[in-house]
Amino acid sequence: MTRASIRERGAVAHAAAREATECEPRHRLWVGALLVAGVAAALGVAAAGMPREHAPLPLIARYALDIAIPRWKLTEPVNEIVYGTRGFDTFGETFLLLAAVVSVVVITRPREPRRGYFGEAAAGAREQRQNDPNTASDAAEQEARSAERREQGEQAPSGGEPVETPDATPLGTPAPETAEAMTVVVRNAIRVVLPILAVAGLYLVAWGFSPGGGFPGGAVILGVLLLVYASYGRRKISQVIRPGLIEPLELAGAGLIIMTEFLGLVLMGSFSANWLPLAPMLTPLSGGVAQLFSAAELIEVGTGLTIVVFALLGMSHDWARNDQGEPRGGRRKR
Amino acid sequence: MILGNYLAAVALFCVGLYVLLTRRNLIKIVMGLSLMEASTYLFIVSLAYRAGSTAPVLVSPPAGKTAKQLAHGNVADPVLQNFCLTAVVIGVAVTAVFLSVVVRIAQHYRTLDADKVRAMRG
Repeated sequence: MTRASIRERGAVAHAAAREATECEPRHRLWVGALLVAGVAAALGVAAAGMPREHAPLPLIARYALDIAIPRWKLTEPVNEIVYGTRGFDTFGETFLLLAAVVSVVVITRPREPRRGYFGEAAAGAREQRQNDPNTASDAAEQEARSAERREQGEQAPSGGEPVETPDATPLGTPAPETAEAMTVVVRNAIRVVLPILAVAGLYLVAWGFSPGGGFPGGAVILGVLLLVYASYGRRKISQVIRPGLIEPLELAGAGLIIMTEFLGLVLMGSFSANWLPLAPMLTPLSGGVAQLFSAAELIEVGTGLTIVVFALLGMSHDWARNDQGEPRGGRRKR
Repeated sequence: MILGNYLAAVALFCVGLYVLLTRRNLIKIVMGLSLMEASTYLFIVSLAYRAGSTAPVLVSPPAGKTAKQLAHGNVADPVLQNFCLTAVVIGVAVTAVFLSVVVRIAQHYRTLDADKVRAMRG
């Protein structure tokens, strides 16, 4: 090891130690503490006045418990409230979720791969070929050519490399993050756990007397996909997790929810009313329209959370140039 | 004593608020917001609790009671459980929105310090 490399290592270690001990600046500690104390006092007084464990159930809760069996044939009041009594609330929250998903998709969208006019380079090359190279060049043309050469030299400092034209850049290249597969122990364990988890998630939805239905079911579906991603890498699930498949699925789920709720308005005269025949209790179809809503919610939540999480995981290294005009930190390995 | 749960939720909310007010690291600000979100889950679920109650499930009620009696007796509040159920899912999606904005800010300004995210850059 040369002396220079030793010195370099020492400098790196020194910088790392300084970074580790560097204290994060805190701002306006006393103002913050004062404000927080005020909020805590107000919330504490409010919490002390809230109904405690011996208070009677609120009216809406007793109403929901009363009608769960006669009107919906559901033995699970939570499910009856999510998709029945307070179905309009759930309807609104679904579209809050959709709005969040759309914002994440818009924010994480990669920069367009082509940054020039389509076909400009090809058309220019054709025109240049048509020009007769033997015509005499005057002073103005020579100056223009030398200026262009200077400009191109600035763009391609390595010289020998051909300048990339926008036409040569392929569209839709995948994000740079490609996770490696994990060890055989983890992969086999996940192979055993996955089907159990997937069946449990679908069971939550299929039987209407489980609390929540589509909401926890969708979260379980996301968990299944994330386990596959973590253990086997992105390539294994790239067939399933692609915008062309899950984004239409997400919107189909939203459309199914709108249809379910509006058909209640059309057929029964009330938004989110039940318009399906009720099956006997404790069967998969016992909730009527609640079960349809729950299944649509499974699609909506499962695909929505999947889009959101994988959009974050796949955000490309799209760094702005720093002041020296050099992209730093985000350079891709070739 | 369910009041302890309420006060724990208030304390959790205040920890999140303190992080929000005194830190300038965007990731920590998002963590503070998530903490405030979590405190509302704790508060809502505590609010649903009733002393000596059962889960709000109407199948196979405790011995000697019918489902109808259960509805008027001692069960946890199912409406508040519904709120918590949907709030968790919305919370995940909103946190994802925050985080994607933070990643874009980091890529554009090359810093996570909220104080430095001021200059207009093309």
